[in-house]
Amino acid sequence: MLSRLIPVVFCGIALAKAPAQEPAQHVDLTKFPAAAVDDVVVPVPSEVFNVLDKLGSPNWNAEMRDNLGKNSGDRAQVALLLGTVIADGFIAVEAENAERVKDIGQEVLTLADAINVRKAVIARSKSITEKADAKNWSAVRSELDGALQDVKGAMEELGDEDLAQLVSLGGWIRGTEVLTSIVGKNYTLDGAQLLCQPELVNYFSRRVDAMRNSRLKKSKLVQTVRRLLKDIRPLIKRETIPIETVQKIHTMTNKVVIVITTQES
Amino acid sequence: MALGLSMALARVDDALSFAHEAADPYTREGFTVREDAWGGDLGVKDQQAVTAQLFKGNVYWFWLGTDTKGAVITVHIYDSEGNLAESEYWQKGRFAAAKITPKKTGTYYAIVTVEKSSRERSNWALVYGYK
Repeated sequence: MLSRLIPVVFCGIALAKAPAQEPAQHVDLTKFPAAAVDDVVVPVPSEVFNVLDKLGSPNWNAEMRDNLGKNSGDRAQVALLLGTVIADGFIAVEAENAERVKDIGQEVLTLADAINVRKAVIARSKSITEKADAKNWSAVRSELDGALQDVKGAMEELGDEDLAQLVSLGGWIRGTEVLTSIVGKNYTLDGAQLLCQPELVNYFSRRVDAMRNSRLKKSKLVQTVRRLLKDIRPLIKRETIPIETVQKIHTMTNKVVIVITTQES
Repeated sequence: MALGLSMALARVDDALSFAHEAADPYTREGFTVREDAWGGDLGVKDQQAVTAQLFKGNVYWFWLGTDTKGAVITVHIYDSEGNLAESEYWQKGRFAAAKITPKKTGTYYAIVTVEKSSRERSNWALVYGYK
């Protein structure tokens, strides 16, 4: 298995001194370089779906979309769309809909082709189809997680870090839309708390703000995503997120998914 | 100075193998190990924080490895207030691990430390898994 490695290296920086044996009960996080602490590890979709599995049995079929969207030819849109489609793959897995999973595997390949990273996901796409046929759902999930990582890795190798970030964002937005739909229909405090992701949202915002490709950064679609992150941020700071807020976030993310899917704004 | 991806990969490839070696027995317990990893190099007694969004309802293990023979490294998990949040940990020379069952969904910090090493700087790699 080829692991992807994210460097979090800050050579020459002497940091806090550590005790040799028992771990400290408390650490001062401000002693760590902001660049390291602020660089949040983005969870893979399986981590969220794994928790949702334990919270009950939502009607996953009701969360699936008939229309996965169209490729407008705009690279930002394709990257965001690819993220949403991979997220739909997880929903189809939850619904145990093998045909839908296979369709999504093909769509991932088509969209990856449109942004020159087809090669990175050919094996994954094939494996998704095989494992969906075998109804090996946990393996399909792993392949979808892997497809997301492979696409991002291939983009980064091509120097397209900005687009790679948009793939992650597309997946996060669609995932949040579905999460809020499910939690909104069967509200529990634990379910709503899955939305408590302030540092992750801050991280996404910083990455959008730091985009090197100014044309991409200024595009209407990216600006729409940027506004969404800004608007969501204050809503997910609290540990207890009321149902009204869950529904509000659902409306917000749903609108942006429609914009990504139809490229209309 | 932050290293580029390819350079970092070349330098910590062995450390990554050790991190996966530490994780391997846990896959048989149902843990899914993420395919991506985090790594770099540190001097003795230096620390590095890796920030992660963790979800209540999952159980997580973080596994750490170094390629420096005889080195002692540790990983411990802290919550967003800086409080120790792990429920279990172990340390065996070039391997270390920490387990957390988050009491709440939120931001957590895996703090990596090189406790002892014969080298000025030691390569390290961290992977995590969940179930």
